[in-house]
Formats: sequence, C-alpha cells, structure tokens
Amino acid sequence: MMISLRFAIPTPNTLIPTKTKPKPGLVDQSGLNQTALLSSLPKRCESYKLQAANGRGASVVELPEGLSRELMPKHVAVIMDGNGRWARQKGLPASAGHEAGVKSLREMVELCGEWGIQVLTVFAFSTENWIRPKMEVDFLLSLFERALKSEMESFLRFGIRISVIGDSSKLPTSLQKLINQVEETTKNNTRLQLIVAVSYSGKYDVVQACRSIAKRAKDGRIQLADIDESLIEQELETSCTEYPYPDLLIRTSGELRVSNFLLWQLAYTELFFAQEPWPDFGKEGFVKALSSYQQRQRRYGGRHS
Amino acid sequence: MDFNKESQVSCSWYAQIENCLLQLLWHLIHVTIDLWYFPLGIADVLESYLISWGLLGRYKSFNVTKLRYLAIVVDSEEVFQTSKIIKLLQWLEAVGIKHVCLYDNEGVLKKSKNFILEKLDGTILFWDAHENDVLSDRQHMTLEFVSFSDGKEAVVKAANVLFMKYSKSGATDQNQKDEIFTESQMSNTLKTVGSGGPKPDLLLVYGPARCHLGFPAWRIPYTEIVHMGPLKSMNYGSLVKAIYKFTMVQPNYGK
Repeated sequence: MMISLRFAIPTPNTLIPTKTKPKPGLVDQSGLNQTALLSSLPKRCESYKLQAANGRGASVVELPEGLSRELMPKHVAVIMDGNGRWARQKGLPASAGHEAGVKSLREMVELCGEWGIQVLTVFAFSTENWIRPKMEVDFLLSLFERALKSEMESFLRFGIRISVIGDSSKLPTSLQKLINQVEETTKNNTRLQLIVAVSYSGKYDVVQACRSIAKRAKDGRIQLADIDESLIEQELETSCTEYPYPDLLIRTSGELRVSNFLLWQLAYTELFFAQEPWPDFGKEGFVKALSSYQQRQRRYGGRHS
Repeated sequence: MDFNKESQVSCSWYAQIENCLLQLLWHLIHVTIDLWYFPLGIADVLESYLISWGLLGRYKSFNVTKLRYLAIVVDSEEVFQTSKIIKLLQWLEAVGIKHVCLYDNEGVLKKSKNFILEKLDGTILFWDAHENDVLSDRQHMTLEFVSFSDGKEAVVKAANVLFMKYSKSGATDQNQKDEIFTESQMSNTLKTVGSGGPKPDLLLVYGPARCHLGFPAWRIPYTEIVHMGPLKSMNYGSLVKAIYKFTMVQPNYGK
C-alpha cells in the first residue's frame, strides 16, 4: 500500500517535555516522556541535556553506539509505508495504523532534532493517492489539518520549521490557509526543517519548475539560453531548504521503489529499504539505516548535485 | 533530616543499580539481535551458491515474462571490467531476459557498446529493433546504453524544446502554459530529444553505494531498485534471486 497521511487524530504530544520530578541519581534532564521501555533505555542510561527549542546551541545528546555525529546525513527523506498493512496484521482499523504512524513520525522528528539532522522530508500524500475513495482522501486530509493545528505549539517550542511541498491547489481551502499560516509562523525556526510532501510527485515537481521558468522567461527576467540544470533545481519545490538533496532515503514496509518521490533529487541518495512497516520502524530501525549510511562508501560519480 | 539524607542516598544507590541493569539489558538485546542477523547473512550467501549450482528447485525455472525491461547500473570505478559485464549479460540471457538497459554515469559503456555487442551472439541495440519504446518479444536480447547525459541533461533539453514551443505560441494565459508543460508532454519531448525509452521494471545496482547514480529518473518512478554489491563480487545465484523476488512482487501504485 502506498503511503498515506501520517498526521492522525491529535494524541498527547510527546514532544512537549513532561513536568516530572527527576529521580535522584538519574541524570536525565530532557523531561521527555519515557513510557516506552525499549526506546527510553538509551536515554535513561546516558546523561544528556536537551537544549531549548529555539535552536540556540547544539544538543549534546549522546548518539547510539556506532554512530558518528560528523557523518550524520544533513537531509533524510522517508517514505512512510505500511500503516495500513500494520493495522491489518493486528486486526485493527486503518485509523489505528495512522495513529501508530504518527507516533513513529514524532519519534523520528525528535531523533533528527537530537542527532543533528537538519532536514527531514516525509512523503505524506502522493499525487497517485488521489485515486483512493473520496471518503478516505477527505478523512486523511482532515486528519492532516487537525494534526497541524495540534502540533503548532510543539513546532514552536522545539524550533521545528515546517514546509509543505506539493500541488496545494487540490487541497481544501481551509487546509491551504492553515499550511500558509504554519509555514509563516515557523519560518524562523532553525533546529530542524520538517518538509511534508502532500499531493506531491517527482514528475509534478519537475513540470511545475518548468512552468515557473517559462513564466520568468515570458516576463523577460531570464533568457531561454540561461535555462540549465541549476535553474531547474532552483525552481523545484525542494529549494525551500538549504539542503535540497537527501543524503539518505528510507522506505519502510519492504517495498523497493521510490514511487515517484523526489525523482530529480535522488541521483546520489543512499537508498535504505527497511522490511518493517512504518509504525514498527522506530529508533532501532533508524539507527540501522544511519549506520548503513555511515558505513557504506559514498561515491558521487564525479558529479555533486 | 538524617532520615531524609539516608533515604536520598538509598534512592541514589537504587537508581544507579537500576541504571546498570538497564544498560546490561540494552546490550543484551543488541547482542541478541546481532546473533539473529549473523546466521541470516550466512544463510543468504549459502542460498546464492545453492542457486548457482541449480540445487534449489524454485529458482531453476520460473516465469520471467513479468520482467519486461531490466536496467543495470554500474559504478564508475567498476565500469571498465568489461568481461564481468559481458558475463552478467550472458547470465541474463540464460535466465530469459529479453531487454536490458546498461547505465554508467560517465558513458563508458556507451563507448564500449560495439565491443560488448560483438561478444554476445545475436544481441542488438534496442533502438535498432524498436521504433518506439513498445517492447516486442524477440529471440535474442536487445541492449540499450545510457549515461548521465540521458538523465537531467535530457530533461533540460526537453524543457528547452517546450519553452521554445511556449514562446512561439505567443501564449499568455495560464491555461495555455498548463497545456504545454505537462508530464505527458515532457515524456513525449524526451523521446524527441533521443532520451525516451521504456520504464525499467527492475534496476540492479552494481557498486559500493546503494544509489542509482543518476539513472534517468523520469524513467524509474515505480522501478524496483535492488543493490547487488560490487561488480567484482557478482554471482549468478544473487542475480537469479533478485529477479525471482521481483516476479513475486505485487505493487499497489498508490491505491
């Protein structure tokens, strides 16, 4: 099943530090919710301090064994596949899969912020997903809208800048307005840029870049002879970030395709295909992907794009 | 006060013991997972050899008709191993693959195409056998050779053709712009500039890095991508396994 929306029904926000009294002797100053035993183990075993969310200063979180901060990818892209499959395997409705997917995304956003990854791009809704039943599409988009509203405070608190790429003309007007508002409100945040691809495809991105260039040429702002690769790259929707080319692409749920995601941008991106569905991906899976990225010999074929 | 101090010290001791136990548990979990994956890796290698020796029934004969078009990406550092590449193509022909696209970033394989074709009996260039990218069944294999210039550079060329069309049309309104700059127009124009070609069903990457190294991205939106490792370590078993696995896949394409 193709990826679907990952922002589900608002649930207690784990990004907001819980105001729990620290136990004597336990040097955990993050205040993060640590209800999940396995995911909390490294945090409770290591001393760390989470810096303020406005991005000032670097977080000094210790990395899992084997990972190097210097070799961290600057930009990670994720195709979050498998929510529906996960729910079916557990005999749950699809909405439960989406909720679990949200938790997984929250964890990944947290980890990216802690580990110095600058940009996280997630494939939330593809242009191909519009062929799904209207009821399902409307449901998913309304979930996205509600999730954006509920997460606004944590975006601001934790210095997360939100960018949304894709063909917004097909989205409900209320959602378009909300996206503009969220992007404007978070534009100065610097800790992590979360790019959400909604109604997006790689081919759409290239074509819309060409349309933009055509308009500029028509307006006399550029000459046709000026049009080259770098000009197209400037007009791609991923130009909203300082690091438009993912260093690492992760796709969960065992599928081995990029499914029309970031086609232009993936020429030299390390591809990591994980077997587990997105709700099960978690910290362990992310560490594996990052380890694989850091260990493998990086080659660019003489061209750095 | 003394009682509070004593109680704090005890809590501290308990917390430290708890910390140690949790750390031990964490490392135990890691070791368990590593021990789980190690034999899986060995089994994988063993399976490849068993396939090569023809000892695994399901890999001996399976239907490859689902794999209409196969792409091979070769890393720049290994692309001069022409004998390996020819051997790989011979294996593919033996398996029954009819159409193969060979890619390397620098275009070295393009320059070697005559040499490669000479070594493979009956194999001809894809575009000598097809006027368009509609695949036809043939007795012998067809080969296509592409490089980085057929990727982004080709898209730029195609974009320029569309810009000229837009400019000459005297178009001023949004609708006309939207009619010229579409995905299908881009696809057609890519063919016009000589960089069309079928969409591969499966793309095998031979090299140290698990990326497609600039293969024409317009052609691989739904292509299965499998990293095969370095070309120097290629083996028949792994190749057959990758193709077999592809034939078992049921993609959803967004539904």
